[in-house]
Amino acid sequence: MSDPTHDDHDESHGSIRLYLGVFLALCVLTTLSFLTYFPWWRGAVSTEMSRLVMMAVSCTKAMLVIIFFMHLKWEANWKWVLTVPASIISALLIFALIPDVGLRMRNASYQRMIHAAERPAAEEKEPGNGHPGAGHHEETQDRETVRPAA
Amino acid sequence: MSDQGHGPNFDYQPALPISRGKTFMWLFLSTEIMFFAALIGTYIVLRFGAISWPSTHDVHLAEIYGAVNTFVLICSSVTIVLALEAAKKNHASSAKGWMFLTLILGTVFLGIKMVEYGAKFSHGIYPQHPHSGIYEKPDVYYAQAVRLRLNELKADLQGVGDRTPEQDQQIAVIDEITLKLLTPAEEQLRDHPDAPLGRQLLWKLADKIYPLASVHEHPIGKNESDHTGHVSASPFKLASTGSENGAEAHVSGLNDQHHWLKLPIMIPGGNMWASTYFLLTGFHALHVVIGLIAFGILLMMTLNKANAGVIENVGLYWHFVDLVWIFLFPLLYLF
Repeated sequence: MSDPTHDDHDESHGSIRLYLGVFLALCVLTTLSFLTYFPWWRGAVSTEMSRLVMMAVSCTKAMLVIIFFMHLKWEANWKWVLTVPASIISALLIFALIPDVGLRMRNASYQRMIHAAERPAAEEKEPGNGHPGAGHHEETQDRETVRPAA
Repeated sequence: MSDQGHGPNFDYQPALPISRGKTFMWLFLSTEIMFFAALIGTYIVLRFGAISWPSTHDVHLAEIYGAVNTFVLICSSVTIVLALEAAKKNHASSAKGWMFLTLILGTVFLGIKMVEYGAKFSHGIYPQHPHSGIYEKPDVYYAQAVRLRLNELKADLQGVGDRTPEQDQQIAVIDEITLKLLTPAEEQLRDHPDAPLGRQLLWKLADKIYPLASVHEHPIGKNESDHTGHVSASPFKLASTGSENGAEAHVSGLNDQHHWLKLPIMIPGGNMWASTYFLLTGFHALHVVIGLIAFGILLMMTLNKANAGVIENVGLYWHFVDLVWIFLFPLLYLF
């Protein structure tokens, strides 16, 4: 792999069968992440776990594309020089943003909470005949719980 | 073990063992990695830091379009790899065929994206004013915006010299909305500012104009025909399914029943959603467009072994575009 002349005589690396295999894997993985959309999946798996699965699937797909389609598997050592620093900086950026997400509620002021957008409550009766008493008592509900049942 | 025998025979490596074009493409891609990492990271912070975020169906985002687009981009990645392989074997015509297929697939991606954008725009979901009609909550400002829009519509209609029956019907609809939904809410707020009824009526107004899919269950199977005519006796017909948005049946509100109304809509978290969605997908679509231009230039060249390097570089770029979408699809559509 470290031999730069290795590339030249190794024309076998781009076999069509390999590319089609990667393509099939990518399709299967896309289907897998799309499965999380369906109600039976959502009923069985928690949102956090679904997101973890989706990100794992995405990373796997990204690695497949990078390694095979972008030929990094067959490249010499220069590939590390270009990809590793960029990846490190990207990762640092993401890590630097984590506190913004993780600690967002620590300093959330009362003002911010009461001015948060509210969701309308589902009407109990059939929609259309106005029943003004219905629907004002789920003000700051977690939005995960009100995803559409599709 | 020892290098005694080699003596003065130094083996200098003058630069990276790849062509300059490829070097610069990879350098460019490493900056692109950071660019999209920043965008996606910002999206994650804004999305999970937001107190409210609309569900995908609230903003007329259909997951199936995203999934199909993912598939299209994966296919195009394969076709451009096959174009490169054909060019390496000096099969110029088959390389051109694969390249053309890649161009077609990229265009299909953009076409689906345009259909998706159209679904947002037709519902008044834009990233910015003055087009954007998104209000975060149904308060007095929302009511005021609705009244302004209704007044504007009515003034325009009344300015017409001899009105058609259709325009008379439109005025009737405007009056009915004003008298039955808007005015009672505003009067309640004026007379009893501390009582909850005024706020509830405002909720009701917002709900009639733009019913949120996450609030109303999808009435699948209950197919009341809505497309019989736009002039219904009452504008308050709700919870009828319209299948204009492809696979997704959604609840239709006043804006759907009367497309000329274009009243302000209420989507909690909708403005931030629109900003991030259009920014991320817009930058990605821009990259797709640039890729398509590159394909067009390549198609004018002879795609033989001599030009395999150019195809490889464009291919690297295109795979990266695919890569970005691989992350955007779950983040935007499925999270």
